[in-house]
Amino acid sequence: MGTATATATSAGLAFAAIDYLGVVSILAYAPGATAALAIFIGGIFVVLIAAIFSELNGLFPTAAGIRLYLGRAIGNRTALAVTFTYMTTVILVIAADAFLIGAAVRHVLNEPAALAYVWIVVLLALALGANLRGVRIAGWVQTVVTYTVLMGTSILSVLALFHVGGSFRRPLDLFGGGTFSGIQAIAFALFLYAAFEWVTTTAEEARTPKVITRALFIAPVLIWIVSTVFALALSHLVRYSTLHSSAYPQLLLGRAALGTVGELWMLALTVLTALNTFNGGFLVASRFIYAAARENNLPRQFARLNMNAVPWLAVTTLAGVSAIVAAIVFATGQWLLLVSVGAAIECGIYAIGSLCLLRLRSRVDRKRPFKLFAGVPLAGIGAVLFSVLFVATAFADPKDSRRFSVAPFAVIAVLGAVSTLYVLLIVPRLQRAAEQRASAARPRRRPARS
Amino acid sequence: MAGWQELSEALDDYTVSCNSNERLRKMQRDWTRVLHFICSDTGQPFTMDVDHGEIVATVEGHVGVPDIVVTTTSETFCDMFWGDLNPVQRYLRGEIVVKGSQEDVMRLDAISYVIWPES
Repeated sequence: MGTATATATSAGLAFAAIDYLGVVSILAYAPGATAALAIFIGGIFVVLIAAIFSELNGLFPTAAGIRLYLGRAIGNRTALAVTFTYMTTVILVIAADAFLIGAAVRHVLNEPAALAYVWIVVLLALALGANLRGVRIAGWVQTVVTYTVLMGTSILSVLALFHVGGSFRRPLDLFGGGTFSGIQAIAFALFLYAAFEWVTTTAEEARTPKVITRALFIAPVLIWIVSTVFALALSHLVRYSTLHSSAYPQLLLGRAALGTVGELWMLALTVLTALNTFNGGFLVASRFIYAAARENNLPRQFARLNMNAVPWLAVTTLAGVSAIVAAIVFATGQWLLLVSVGAAIECGIYAIGSLCLLRLRSRVDRKRPFKLFAGVPLAGIGAVLFSVLFVATAFADPKDSRRFSVAPFAVIAVLGAVSTLYVLLIVPRLQRAAEQRASAARPRRRPARS
Repeated sequence: MAGWQELSEALDDYTVSCNSNERLRKMQRDWTRVLHFICSDTGQPFTMDVDHGEIVATVEGHVGVPDIVVTTTSETFCDMFWGDLNPVQRYLRGEIVVKGSQEDVMRLDAISYVIWPES
């Protein structure tokens, strides 16, 4: 895997349909062009994250890297609880994308609202079927899809801004409509880049660790450009009062810019994002579940393979849980809550990543292909900064800057508590049972040395 | 440390176990790969050639262009090929290092899991 593919993988993992909603949450706290400022500041923080994950990836260039550096920095049990919580964001993103794409398709086809859930189930069933059959999207297709989504969103946004919106004649108009309000805007901006660091799980496919490092620095730049022009166009052409109650802001922008053609354009891009989310998300999460079951940290049934060498129970459970989460979102209409929860968990992970770098500087004496300059003070700053952003987002109402909400924190607290209790109470039992099975099953096969 | 003789015996047993397991052969029917192995302690290289799930050759030295490169100690290789250890546990501890796609890493472990589900 070279730099272009690794960059596409990183950007593709980060840029999902939920990012269009993420921009709406930024606009709640940073109206008008100030959203661009929030995305820019978020991008600067992401450079620090990219550097931190580059160093950690260089130390442990493996798909299991996150378990390794978390385990060595904060202990195996805590690492497991954190990783389980982290993986729930994958389910949230899959569920959110299924919901958002279902809602967008229903909207364009002008069908009754209830049919959106049918589309959600159809999409998840297609993803489940493809995964169970072992269908993989080729790397080059994924690369083309990612660059098409990024280019398509940018081109429509630029057309909306300068051709339809006439911003080149009155550029200062962009800065009207409100003031920058709060660090929440930056935290929501960070969400746009979230998951770009998952490219480190493909470290074993990269030609050299430098490929992953380059991808970690280039992908955020692409996301920054696309998100900025999209946010500017959205705030310029669509009223915020319309946006915060809509699950498909990108379609509203498409229609405002180019009518039906624009709407279909954005629908096509939205559906394309599903290829990356469902392919990458299912793959990362199901293989994590498989490894956890093989490690005896989850019931061994989750490691069962079908005749296509796919962990079928892991994949089916993922699809089932995603369908349930999507149904809850569909029934409650709380899709922006997923943005808050995702943003807060990512900020928390970035704080923990900073902490890992701090601890591993003194604990692991190994050659580092990439070493963050002034790593100790910068990682210290990162740990504090991202912890503050975690708190700010966990208590933010994602669509109203004047309101305070405990809902995101409550969701994260429940996820964290369930993960921790599981690791403390269930995992030791699974480990004991596995040891008993292994010793009872058969003696050591390797002949003793004479 | 294990020498080539010990490794070779382990590989022979592994080859028989893999090739005689019908479920595994069916599961790996579309898996054709060249695997290179490196013993990190002795420097011993060896190659495994898999054709549609069948191990057709295991030879000393590196032959061909690898799809997967696996590095660990000679003792771990021996235990792994005899089915006396769980490869995933060692991999997640960083003791087995694999260069290849995530899919191939899982397939490699799946072989041990199908032959020795209790390992």
